[in-house]
Amino acid sequence: MNNGGVESTKDMRKGEDVPGSSLGIPKADDFGRSVSKIAVAQICESVGYQGYKESALEALADISIRYLCDLGKNASFHANLAGRTECNVFDIRLALEDLGDSHGFPGASEIGNCLVGSGIVKEIVQFVDTKEEIPFAQPVPRFPVVRSGKLIPSFEHMNETPPGKHIPSWLPAFPDPHTYNHTPMWNERASDPCADKIEQARQRRKAERALLRLQQRLVCNGSTGTCASSVLDAKTENIQEAGSNPFLSAPLQQGEKDVSEVVLPAKLSNEVSKGDHISLLDAFVPAIDAMKTGPSDRLDGEKTFLPEKRPSVQFKFKTGKKILGESLDLSLQRKGERSSTFLLPDDERDDKKKRAEFILRQTTEYPMELNQS
Amino acid sequence: MNPNPQSSDGKHDDDSALSDFLASLMDYTPTIPDELVKHYLAKSGFQCPDVRLIRLVAVATQKFVAEVASDALQHCKARQAAVVKDKRDKQQKDKRLILVMDDLSKSLHEYGVNVKHQEYFADSPSTGIDPASREE
Repeated sequence: MNNGGVESTKDMRKGEDVPGSSLGIPKADDFGRSVSKIAVAQICESVGYQGYKESALEALADISIRYLCDLGKNASFHANLAGRTECNVFDIRLALEDLGDSHGFPGASEIGNCLVGSGIVKEIVQFVDTKEEIPFAQPVPRFPVVRSGKLIPSFEHMNETPPGKHIPSWLPAFPDPHTYNHTPMWNERASDPCADKIEQARQRRKAERALLRLQQRLVCNGSTGTCASSVLDAKTENIQEAGSNPFLSAPLQQGEKDVSEVVLPAKLSNEVSKGDHISLLDAFVPAIDAMKTGPSDRLDGEKTFLPEKRPSVQFKFKTGKKILGESLDLSLQRKGERSSTFLLPDDERDDKKKRAEFILRQTTEYPMELNQS
Repeated sequence: MNPNPQSSDGKHDDDSALSDFLASLMDYTPTIPDELVKHYLAKSGFQCPDVRLIRLVAVATQKFVAEVASDALQHCKARQAAVVKDKRDKQQKDKRLILVMDDLSKSLHEYGVNVKHQEYFADSPSTGIDPASREE
């Protein structure tokens, strides 16, 4: 806003900014206040000021707003006193006299004075005649902006009849009963245990096949690729591709460096519907490959079976040993998903292999117990 | 109260003066914009569809603010005149008239408004600011 080249000196007490603006909490009346600040600054400039302090201008703007509100309140009071709801010029004149009483105006002490010939109005007339016109600096839109509220449709609107005679139809309709009624739920499907088991076995086989296919694909690629579907993996990939990073050194060949075993949580969840199956198959991965590659590789003990892949990092910092030391029974399957995402140290891989083989044995021998759903 | 025949003539004059004035208001654009005035008057319960009355209120407020500002200006000039007597060097710097809290509080005091300026604050500049938004 151009105030004729006026510069505003920041007040000494405020360290950086005006607290209101630095807090960033918008108040309802901010727009009106800022517009009135501009108007008051323009008036000050017309009086002769060349600069202002922020706090002083804010105080003056606040006072002028209050004056405006007081005028309105007084005028409406006088109108109500006369039994009207709309104000007219006499109400305003009386309100002006009320506000000007403390300061004094010509004709204040006279009684029986005609309303029209009030001293205050004459002063205003003088003011208008003598002062030159200073229009406001910028166009001000209509405010506050009125937003039409969304109303709840009435009974008439919904073509419903109100449930009671005492309820008129123009009132908002009641909510639908399904929004507040609690009805018991039953599983409508007839459960067939045999068919369920068969179906489960079939799904398990399907999942294993899919997993094997995936493993083959990964082995073929022989890359340190990540799951496209996992955002975290993408992130780690980005980190790898970022600048000055040990990961950016030339890619290691398979088996050059010891890397922790990998898991494929996200991709599996896409293929398999049941959560328990995921946890099982996660554990199966090293076991399956162990069986694929044969016992010879196990002697190395240091080489990795699987292509190197940075694990999707979901760090829950429990020591790996503790997890493996936990029961190798069925409860492991529930925790299996969690534990399989751990970043296991290298020396634990043997334990993990043993655990995986144990689980594999269990699934083949006890297919029933795996039915966790 | 029996109105004298003279005052009744005066009434007519005043009537015409007032209506002329209201008509002239339409030409004069007050510094305080109409929308702002309408907003605050609506907030305080003032109902009037007539634009002239809105302008009248705007002009009255402008007059009030101008009076306060001019009083403060008088105080500012008086202060500068007092200072200049002591040191001639300061004259160059103090030529600018700045609206300061001290002058404002003095002039508003005559209107019955008590505005006090904080002399100093306790410790750091960030005292009293909402801790959530404090920069750390």
